[in-house]
Amino acid sequence: MTDRTSPTDWKGGAMQARIAKRYAAERRFKLLGLLAVLASGAFLAFLLFVMVGNGLRGFTYTNVAVPIDFKAMPLTVDTARLGDADADQVIAGAGLADIVAFSADEALGDGGSAMISENAWKEVRTAIKADPELLQTSTVFHLPTSSEVDIAAKEGAKGAMGAKVDALERDGKLSTGIHWPFFRNADATDPAAAGIWGALKGSVLTILIAFLIAFPTGVLAALYLEEYAPKNRWTDLIEVSINNLAAVPSIIFGLLALAVFINWFGICQASALVGGLTLALMTMPVIVIASRNAIKAVPPSIRDAALGVGASPVQVVFHHVLPLALPGILTGTIIGMARALGETAPLLLIGMRAFIGDVPGGVCSPATVLPMQIFLWSDEVDRGFVEKTSAAIIVLLIVLLSMNALAIYLRNKFEKRW
Amino acid sequence: MTFNAAALLLLIAGLALIGWIAGRARSNLLAGRAQAKLHSRPQYHGWYVALWLFAPAALFLAVWSAVSPGLITNDVLASDAARTLPAFGFERGAILSDARSVAQGQQAAVRIPAAAPLVAPYADATHRYAWIGIGAMLALALAGGLYAFTRIKPEFRARTRVEKIVMLVLLLASLVAILTTFGIVLSLLFESIRFFRLVSPAELLFGTNWAPTSGAPQDDTFGGIPLFWGTILIGAIIAMIVAIPIGMMTAVYLTQYAAPRVRRWVKPLLEILAGVPTVVYGYFAALTVAPALREFAVMLGIPNASTESALAAGIVMGVMIIPFVSSMADDSINAVPQAMRDGSLALGATPNETIRQVLIPAALPGVMGGILLAVSRAIGETMIVVMAAGLSANMTANPFASVTTVTAQIVKLLTGDQEFDSAKTLAAFALGLVLFVVTLLLNIVALRIVKKYREAYD
Repeated sequence: MTDRTSPTDWKGGAMQARIAKRYAAERRFKLLGLLAVLASGAFLAFLLFVMVGNGLRGFTYTNVAVPIDFKAMPLTVDTARLGDADADQVIAGAGLADIVAFSADEALGDGGSAMISENAWKEVRTAIKADPELLQTSTVFHLPTSSEVDIAAKEGAKGAMGAKVDALERDGKLSTGIHWPFFRNADATDPAAAGIWGALKGSVLTILIAFLIAFPTGVLAALYLEEYAPKNRWTDLIEVSINNLAAVPSIIFGLLALAVFINWFGICQASALVGGLTLALMTMPVIVIASRNAIKAVPPSIRDAALGVGASPVQVVFHHVLPLALPGILTGTIIGMARALGETAPLLLIGMRAFIGDVPGGVCSPATVLPMQIFLWSDEVDRGFVEKTSAAIIVLLIVLLSMNALAIYLRNKFEKRW
Repeated sequence: MTFNAAALLLLIAGLALIGWIAGRARSNLLAGRAQAKLHSRPQYHGWYVALWLFAPAALFLAVWSAVSPGLITNDVLASDAARTLPAFGFERGAILSDARSVAQGQQAAVRIPAAAPLVAPYADATHRYAWIGIGAMLALALAGGLYAFTRIKPEFRARTRVEKIVMLVLLLASLVAILTTFGIVLSLLFESIRFFRLVSPAELLFGTNWAPTSGAPQDDTFGGIPLFWGTILIGAIIAMIVAIPIGMMTAVYLTQYAAPRVRRWVKPLLEILAGVPTVVYGYFAALTVAPALREFAVMLGIPNASTESALAAGIVMGVMIIPFVSSMADDSINAVPQAMRDGSLALGATPNETIRQVLIPAALPGVMGGILLAVSRAIGETMIVVMAAGLSANMTANPFASVTTVTAQIVKLLTGDQEFDSAKTLAAFALGLVLFVVTLLLNIVALRIVKKYREAYD
């Protein structure tokens, strides 16, 4: 016998070493997989952490207490007119802005009027309209500070501004509250007054139009292709074009909308109407594909049973197949709509990037949408807009995640095994 | 008074509802009087009347909305006030549209003084054509409704007729996809041909200098190579270096190692990455990732490191695509028959040897198809690049430098103050055509591979 170990000698040192090496490789590989999962998770967590960290401060605002003595500085307005439609102009014409600026100088020292937001007097105006009695009294108003003061107070700035803010803080004049203008205003050049309501309303209008067009068209097209269409070259062409459209880059839809809707048909540019049409074309293929899968999942026995008791093919589909497929169709539609709601690139091309300081009045008036507002604010170098951008991102993500959660909930609730 | 299509559509929808009720009532009445059995149930008679009332009028409304602005403008041009207008050109159009906005109440006063005398004729013509349109539409609706109403008899096959119309509607809905595809191809082709009359296709495809600055074709150079290179660097190289390994390993871990409970939670969590809007990624890349990378580059001693870098855009885009790659790989790995996996394990291979030497080679065609689709998505992505990669056309392999891509240039060309006929604007459509063709080819090849592979084990 030689002392050469046999290749299957599991106890031999060489074999044990090889096994140990292979097991180590196995552990390394598994760890690598875990690391890959963790890397994606960590990125997501980091992204959310940065956005929430920056954005939460955008929801609050630093206010400063400014006493305004209307007895010493009477604002002469006819209180009977405060309920009228032109009450805003009446109060502005009476010189409220000057009174507020003067009171701020009195209360906060020289340069005090620069420390409150240039729109602060509008808050006073709102208060007066709500309660005209204020005009006979001396009241302490908590007015929004200017953007620089707000940032200094939130971040603990140094230098002259930091000293001023510290002094105010010691006197207990500063307070922090929810920044309501952020929720009820449209875009503005002053970060203290800029809000997302205009963009939010634009988003809702745009998505509503996209839904009203894409949902019926998509579902009807899916019904036709899945239930009635003969197998021929035409239906093949339809199928291929739907599948391709689902993979076309979104910016191409923007080019299509610019050429067709705006330059050929002249539909109102930069409006929710054109935006909605564009997004409808984009989401329609997604809805068709999801609907076809849902319709396919309805078992043929349902159709045969309905046909057997004398229903016509149209009745079979509209009375039986469609209701049963609807939860699946809705799930796909919600996911498609969520994607459309987050879309920016095609809307950039149809002119929705202009500064719009008003809340859109109708489907044809110039509008902006939430992702576009984020894009526009991200270009503003003003520090006040960084937290605004992140705050708007938080709102957008909350809307999108709840839409996706709703889709998952619907899918789980209505998932059927036939 | 202007021609408000939405309100009119509501009006005829209301009329159609009345028609529906009337048709149903009429058929009920007839059935009772004649002591006969109806062929179709009453609501089908109702639908028949409603459709005859609604469809012709709605069709007319659509045509009229498209045609009437032209007719109105013709009327205005024929009026005396139009004699003073300048001859064809940009100014003439501006004056006309100014007058139109005032006449239709979209704007309080004219911005161009020359438009003032045109306001009254415009308002007159608008008013006249609105009334003509409304009159014709109502006449059509009533005629259609009356025609259908008089045809109601107990033996009338209303259901068959209604169902025919329903089938027609279904067919039309499915044609929208073809129409959209044609719309894309035609609009891109049409504008690109106009561009290629000014600039040769060879320059766009093979030129190496991209400098569309003035808008006049003789001063600008439209060499597309730097854009194509930037697109490939970001979308096909950097993004894929991030997305392929992480996506593949994620798929392997989740299908082969993770407990079903973990998988059920982690998968949707990762899919959030695909649901985050691209503008958010772009902002994140520009605000956080790019400055960090710049500091890193400076630390390494790399000169001309820019805050707008190909690397920042590419990494973030890669992360966005991870769930896409991993779910494609997931599908392909799951499609490999369990017997192959079990066979390998039974021979004594460790799980990782099985995965690397059996599962992945078997799943490779599907994975390749998925990767091609991911590349196609990455090169079509816009916002991340616009916000983080910059707009300067550089032909550099340095990932810390600023590069630009096809999509970013399309946005840049179309968001300036250009009139629609300049070479700069048309160039965007030519770039769009290139992008469309390339992504289409990638998608077709990818779908072929995936499909062919899927059939192999069936």
